[in-house]
Amino acid sequence: MRKESVRAIITGLKRAGINFVSMLPDSDFTDAQKAVMADKTFTCVPVSNEAIAFGVCAGAWLGGKKAALLITTDGIIASAFPLTTLNLAKNIPVLMVVPYRGSLGDGIWFVGPMALTTEPLLKDLQVAYTVINKIDQVADAIKQAQLSAEAWLRPAAVLLAGEVIFEET
Amino acid sequence: MRKPDCIKILHKKLPEDVLVVTPTGKTYMYWEATEREAQISQLNLGLCTPVGLGLALALPHRKVVVLDGDGNLLFNLASIADLAVQNPGNLVDIVFDNECYQSCDSFPSATAKGVDLEAIAKGCGIENTWTVRELKEFEQAIDRALGGDQLTFIIAKVAPGEDLVSLPRQEGRENKYRFVRYVERTENIRIINPYPRRRKKDFAPSY
Repeated sequence: MRKESVRAIITGLKRAGINFVSMLPDSDFTDAQKAVMADKTFTCVPVSNEAIAFGVCAGAWLGGKKAALLITTDGIIASAFPLTTLNLAKNIPVLMVVPYRGSLGDGIWFVGPMALTTEPLLKDLQVAYTVINKIDQVADAIKQAQLSAEAWLRPAAVLLAGEVIFEET
Repeated sequence: MRKPDCIKILHKKLPEDVLVVTPTGKTYMYWEATEREAQISQLNLGLCTPVGLGLALALPHRKVVVLDGDGNLLFNLASIADLAVQNPGNLVDIVFDNECYQSCDSFPSATAKGVDLEAIAKGCGIENTWTVRELKEFEQAIDRALGGDQLTFIIAKVAPGEDLVSLPRQEGRENKYRFVRYVERTENIRIINPYPRRRKKDFAPSY
């Protein structure tokens, strides 16, 4: 991931007022995740699977934090259960910042199917989302997604694709 | 030892401002009957302990008590590891272990087959981990946990079988709003903000 992308993600999280982040490492996202962990603005809670992260962020929101998840598209698939029974059932917001595995430009065979499952799953789970391909649009997209998540009491996702996550496009 | 008797002890021992996190099933129904405001309930399979962890980290000056169950916890067993790593000193995690899925015709859980939650929690690094089998022991464990400031993990071995309870009155969203308003009031903070885009200068500060 380019340094400019990492900076844009951090800037977006701060503009959105995020102060609590949970995450599971992803090979193409660790630069951003490490930068968030190193920034004292955020209480960071690395977890062992993303379903736990949704629970942790829900608890943090109930305690007054503005919570975000830095997880992969795999993590969304793994978290259909908490998204349904916790966020959707109880109307609990959370911001998801997600490198869009399976978007065009991804060159790993086993993430290919995520191109077919990610957006339909988000729609089924009633997660509002946007796909961002340009680095200069990242920070504002994160801020806007958080604003809507907060007002609607629903999860919102920013899917990062194109030059935002790939070194060469 | 029976879970309804443990709940009565907790109701007697826990100060009103302790934030209590409960799963679905009879545990939450018993606790809802206490009519306390400081309860967030009906957190289904595997989500009770993670929500308690997030809450404890968000409000480190408040005591948080999780009333989990063996089946519920086993669904997300890795949450014990994450709990141990974060190590919030204000969290007491109580697992009512009846070694079965009570609401599913008492279908046996993994703890009925020898899985030892105390060994797992200790192996993850939670030093204050105790298994209790008698009411007296349970009461002592609660006293120790409430009197201390370290993460505590209590496995309460309870007999299968539940009391008859009234059907709960609160729907899950109602419970959430009630809990959030309680936290907003007692912490003097705003959590729900339905108009985040409105210009602050046009409105009187509410907090």
